[in-house]
Amino acid sequence: MDRRTFIRGTAATIPATVALQMLGTRFAFAQSSDFADDVDVLNYALTLEFLEAEFYRQGNGKNLLSGKEAQYLETVGADEDAHVAAITDTINKIGGTPVEAPGVDFADSFDSREKFLTTSHVFENLGVSAYLGAAGFIKDKAILQAAAGIFGVEARHAAVVGNLLGLKPEGGVYMGANETPLTKDEVLAAAEPFLTGAGSMAGDAAVTK
Amino acid sequence: MADRQIFDGQPVMEIEDGNARRNFLKYAAIFGVGSTLAVAGLGDRRIASSQGGGDLDILNYALTLEFLEADFYKQGVDAGILSGREAALVGPIAEHEAAHVSQLSSTITDLGGEPVKEPKFKYPAPTFKDKAAFLETASVFEELGVNAYHGQVTLIENVDILAAAASIAGVESRHAAVLADLIGGEPFPAPVEASKSMKQVLKAAMPFIKS
Repeated sequence: MDRRTFIRGTAATIPATVALQMLGTRFAFAQSSDFADDVDVLNYALTLEFLEAEFYRQGNGKNLLSGKEAQYLETVGADEDAHVAAITDTINKIGGTPVEAPGVDFADSFDSREKFLTTSHVFENLGVSAYLGAAGFIKDKAILQAAAGIFGVEARHAAVVGNLLGLKPEGGVYMGANETPLTKDEVLAAAEPFLTGAGSMAGDAAVTK
Repeated sequence: MADRQIFDGQPVMEIEDGNARRNFLKYAAIFGVGSTLAVAGLGDRRIASSQGGGDLDILNYALTLEFLEADFYKQGVDAGILSGREAALVGPIAEHEAAHVSQLSSTITDLGGEPVKEPKFKYPAPTFKDKAAFLETASVFEELGVNAYHGQVTLIENVDILAAAASIAGVESRHAAVLADLIGGEPFPAPVEASKSMKQVLKAAMPFIKS
């Protein structure tokens, strides 16, 4: 795999300061101290994908949905499983150690169809913002390409689940003309209520090498 | 998906401004898409040497595609063929594409580049008469847009421009999924979205660019 330093560390034709000034803080990536290397970013993504995959494994087993909805959410769950497998495989290939699945507690998320879909909507939008916030730290082009492809799929999930819930189009199905990045700290704070025990993201993903 | 024909294969986009036309079509020349178009650029060493012409070229490429999307949706919305939830879901898409045009234009300007001028568009008569055909075309566009953005991800040099482009790409993904749902297609065709190179995108887009 191509391990050449990319994005960060290359001499950009457009000075970063100019671009930053122009684009404003809305597009700014997370702080540079958030991730040490690609393995670090991937383990962060892996923990989120573990969380999502387990969420759908449990939720899809509760028979809360039927017809097209059930079918959609089965596919969403299968996508998350595929993401877990792909990211784990990538970490192994580049010589890192994948984090273990975190302990999770989804509380009353499976009490009803509405709660299942509402929590799903939260997770998917969180995933979108997490990938966008972390993308700038990925140095390997092949990994960046894959992460972008996963990011887009999370956006698809978020939009369709928002639509299943009958949410208003803008601010429910779509989140504006641009996706919004979140820093690792922001994502961790949002995910924390669902994480339990020593395998939680804050303890593992951030320090694994 | 990529093989779905839209606009009956007829050209709908005409780039009249000389510079803008060359800026966009030089990709066709570089990558050999379409023999007629390729000829225009063959003798131009400057064009040939600008292969992989950096972030500004990528932004102008994205801008041209967004111009087409913005115009297409505006006409679709204005045609009044949609109603209810469909209209509610497509309306914001038109607004997003217009916003992307304006964001990309000002980004190019602020970086010292020259944004391509808006091409002229002329669609086959039935394009905005039939709801199903309109949504089908929209779906093809969105999937192409998603693939086009992903195809540039590893080529963008500046990290902040990458962030801006990615923030747009994710929205195109939402559009693609919603439209697939509306036409009874597959909102989640694969666990990881595919990418298309400029050459592949232009090959798909060429039929609707009037040469």
